[in-house]
Amino acid sequence: MTDLATATQSGSQPVAPAPAKIAVRNLQFHYRDFHAVRNVHMDIPERQVTAIIGPSGCGKSTLLRVFNRIYAIYPHLRAEGEVRLDGENILDPGYSLNRLRSKVGMVFQKPVPFPMTIFENIAYGIRHHESLSRADMDVRVEQALRAAALWDEVKDKLKHSALGLSGGQQQRLCIARGIALRPQVLLLDEPTSALDPIATGRIEQLIEELKRDYTIVIVTHNMQQAARVSDRTAFMYMGELIEFGDTEKIFTKPDKKQTEDYITGRFG
Amino acid sequence: MSTRIHRRRHAKNIAAQVLASAATLLALAFLVWILWETISRGLQAIGISLFTKITAYADQGGLANAIVGSAIIDAMAIALSAPIGVMAGAYLAEYARSTRLGATIRFLNDILLSAPSIVLGLFVYVIVVLPMTAATNGTTTFSALAGSIALALIGLPVIVRTTDEMLQLVPSTLREAALSLGIPQWKLTVQVLMRAAGSGILTGVLLALARLSGETAPLLFTAFGNNYMAFGPLEKMASLPAAIYQYTNDPNPALHAIAWAGALLIALFVLALSLLARTVFARGKTSHD
Repeated sequence: MTDLATATQSGSQPVAPAPAKIAVRNLQFHYRDFHAVRNVHMDIPERQVTAIIGPSGCGKSTLLRVFNRIYAIYPHLRAEGEVRLDGENILDPGYSLNRLRSKVGMVFQKPVPFPMTIFENIAYGIRHHESLSRADMDVRVEQALRAAALWDEVKDKLKHSALGLSGGQQQRLCIARGIALRPQVLLLDEPTSALDPIATGRIEQLIEELKRDYTIVIVTHNMQQAARVSDRTAFMYMGELIEFGDTEKIFTKPDKKQTEDYITGRFG
Repeated sequence: MSTRIHRRRHAKNIAAQVLASAATLLALAFLVWILWETISRGLQAIGISLFTKITAYADQGGLANAIVGSAIIDAMAIALSAPIGVMAGAYLAEYARSTRLGATIRFLNDILLSAPSIVLGLFVYVIVVLPMTAATNGTTTFSALAGSIALALIGLPVIVRTTDEMLQLVPSTLREAALSLGIPQWKLTVQVLMRAAGSGILTGVLLALARLSGETAPLLFTAFGNNYMAFGPLEKMASLPAAIYQYTNDPNPALHAIAWAGALLIALFVLALSLLARTVFARGKTSHD
């Protein structure tokens, strides 16, 4: 892994096929006339946690939202370049959104449970992609809730509305809903910024457990969080990827002055 | 010096407060007066025969056929306008939110919202009643169906507008969350967003029903009226507003009393609908936050 890290960091292509789950090449992103993300190159390793940090408006969420093309629901936004998921360019209009979104799950800043029961919140997405028997569905829902460390708290009220859960529980429900589709990549867009410290701790612990099975990309404005949960950290500033490398290195001896200034709190 | 300024400001403040309160009282006074007249005069004529006898008995009769007629016509009108209105509102909010076409449709819908109801009545007379008369050689002319189409045109823009607004209030994060699971737009709209905005949409339908149930003008050339009990949608049919209109034009004071009773029934119905709409909306609000 260290070989690969040095190889990608120096910008040269690794000789062996990289275990990069997502390979970003020359990515540009525009909001109408605003050039929000510039020339981003990045290899996101499989089954690790990659954190994207940077000051507000640096393009970190925008970058994350390219990975499942959720930006495409709004007019006047466009992404150019390549984002290869397992070698296939997801920005290719021929890449089916249905397929992409079953492979790449997303959790948002504010917990957004659907106005349905706890059970239905999980089953709803599964039902769209697969037809399961009742018993199989029960198993899948339980697995997802267990994986999101929520099962014990909700197993007796699966038929209750998800809107009655606490914020932290709702966010774990959203994570369960995402992993219920058995995606390969999980995108987390500031998943704890609306939560209290205890709920945040549980989510961070969960991220640690989930990386065994999923490639996780997390956007956070909380640098301690990035340092705690991630294996690799990307620092973005003014739409550019300034530095990307092992989290420990980024936080202890970054190569770039801008990274150091941000991390030591000189701006941002 | 400063105390003089303060005194002057204090006096101005009191003057403004008195004027504003007086204006509110004046408006409220008329509302109470209207309700008082309707209730006191209406109650005098309310009795069993109001609900059991038909208008054919005139001052010896009641409003049974008008009550049944209104129920049938209003139910058909809301059955016609609710599905179309909700779907059109969903189109505006979810597919045409910030498009020029959407803005144009919203503008036209607002025109329909404020169109004089007599114009809608005449329109339905021309596009439904006249062709129906020609097609059936005069056996079917005015009909309950034509009346409910005219009333549906009154309710439709109310439903379109509230559905549109209520769906727009649903946070976009809910859309993103569903779309990021691969849920297609139509499923998202029908199964997630309409459920999230359900109480608001239902409130719009109830308010549309309240609005159209009190209309008289659209019914005059469409459902026409009938002094006997009728149930068929292709028959001429009595309705409460049309019966009130007919009775108040009569010199017989006994008929005026029955008209007041009818007016009270409509007022109570609209009041009940408004209260129901408020409870539905309040309940929906608390369960989603």
